[in-house]
Amino acid sequence: MNKKAKKRIGAGIRVLILCIFLLCATLPLFWIFITSIKNGTELYELPLVYWPKEPTLDAYKRLFTYSDFGQYFKNSLSVSLSSAIVAMILSVMSGFALSRYRKKRVKKSLELLLYFTQTIPSFIIMLPLFMLFSKLKLVDNLPALAFIYVATVIAFCTIMSRSFFDRIPVSLEEAAKIDGCNLAQSIIHVVLPLTLPGIAAIFCFAFVNIWNELFLAVMLINKASKYTIPVALNSFISKAGVSWDLMSAGIVVSLLPTMIVFGIGQKYIVAGLTDGGVKG
Amino acid sequence: MKRDKWYFLMILPALAFIACFIFYPLIKGGVMAFQNYSMFNLKNIKFIGFENFKTVINSKSVNFGKILLNTLKWTLLSLIFQFLLGFLLAMLLRKPFRGRSVYCGFVFYPWALCGFAIGLIWSWLFNGQFGVLNDLLMKLGIIKENIGWLSDPKIAMFSVVIANVWYGVPYFGIMLLAALQSVPNDLYEAATLDGCNQVQQLFHVTIPYIKPTIISTVLLRSMWIVNFPDLIYAMTNGGPINSTHILGSMMINKVYKEFDYGQGSAYGVIIMAILFVYAIVYLRVTKASEDDML
Repeated sequence: MNKKAKKRIGAGIRVLILCIFLLCATLPLFWIFITSIKNGTELYELPLVYWPKEPTLDAYKRLFTYSDFGQYFKNSLSVSLSSAIVAMILSVMSGFALSRYRKKRVKKSLELLLYFTQTIPSFIIMLPLFMLFSKLKLVDNLPALAFIYVATVIAFCTIMSRSFFDRIPVSLEEAAKIDGCNLAQSIIHVVLPLTLPGIAAIFCFAFVNIWNELFLAVMLINKASKYTIPVALNSFISKAGVSWDLMSAGIVVSLLPTMIVFGIGQKYIVAGLTDGGVKG
Repeated sequence: MKRDKWYFLMILPALAFIACFIFYPLIKGGVMAFQNYSMFNLKNIKFIGFENFKTVINSKSVNFGKILLNTLKWTLLSLIFQFLLGFLLAMLLRKPFRGRSVYCGFVFYPWALCGFAIGLIWSWLFNGQFGVLNDLLMKLGIIKENIGWLSDPKIAMFSVVIANVWYGVPYFGIMLLAALQSVPNDLYEAATLDGCNQVQQLFHVTIPYIKPTIISTVLLRSMWIVNFPDLIYAMTNGGPINSTHILGSMMINKVYKEFDYGQGSAYGVIIMAILFVYAIVYLRVTKASEDDML
């Protein structure tokens, strides 16, 4: 076999495997979408219906009329947006400061502390938080929930943002200082513009994680009008089982925002996650 | 060192959040593990030493050894396949081609999905009667009768692992792809000149160069998998006959179903102790200097 043929076979295998990956990644969600546009009888028909004869948006209509899904969506959106923005601002500050901190011992122990938070199972902090919340009469309070969410993502966001600032040479700030900038000015005018992709990545990471969180919200939110989307999906599971047309419509709607954020921010997320988790 | 003071002030808000809403409840939860803390017994809470741990470990209804073994299976199988498939994907994507970023969007998006929703999606795909997976395998002639993906205790663990692998491949794909792209091309050129074939290049150039990334991603990921019972909760809730119960899902049950917070917290403390020992051993074994990690 000559070299050219070998190369061509190699390229063919590469394309084939990439296609398999693509199918595996997309088909599950595609099937949920198909399920959501079937009518009630086709859903439980054998042999399975692969393409509904009369696609219907009935399940989506019921989702927004029988359940208060529009409200849940708004709840989730306001909580996720506000806590992601706060987490982003705070972690830019803390990440920058950590990156520039000069006392090695303090710096190291702060960093270890941040990594340590990653080993904590979130369930262990839930009940104490619930007790704290009921004492302060903050159960069913969405802004308070948003506060907790900031705390749950801030450690990793700081780790991410620190590594971002590590890549910006300190000499830039020193030059700015010579030019008469104070600390705040040199951060805002010199450092921040260089790290915008990283900051976008931090926002995306925080938003996605908060949007997807279920168990804390189940614990701290009881009133139906305050449900976030994962809590609402959880409430669709009844003792009798799951009504899959409604559930799949709910899943499709609930995935849209994170997919949009991921779609727009993908470039930054890729750069941000890799810079954040590791230096390499 | 005046600036250090400013820097510390800038870190303070983030630290305050962590202290108030992570460490304070963590300490309280840790204390609860040593109390008879239960929803049905709020008037008479007292310290009972290691009683909760004893109850959890000696439980007659759930074999603790089996739970540990399940946790190990869940973590190890998920981690290995997430890593290997993610690595393969990253290697295939290393060389640019037209439409690569669009392709990446489509294969990497599961990263952004909700664990609980993923569990629901896969329990529908795995559904014994109306599941599409059984139907497809039947049509392809691979199986003769429906498989009880989530109802057969021998298979259920593999089914939840499959869902978890689906969720986790993008993480390693994203991380390793970026690391691979940071490998300087002249290293490969030099290796080729020295007569290295592709496999040798993989083991002598690629892997050594991205080793720090591999070490830290594997460590973080394995800890996250242990703490990620969301999928199991949505798909099997530990069943059938406890075959998919891991430490984390047991903890969910104790807290949300039995309202026994003392025993639930005991599980939490056990998980943290295991992860702590694991992280130390892991860093020793991989001989990662602290600089690799931090």
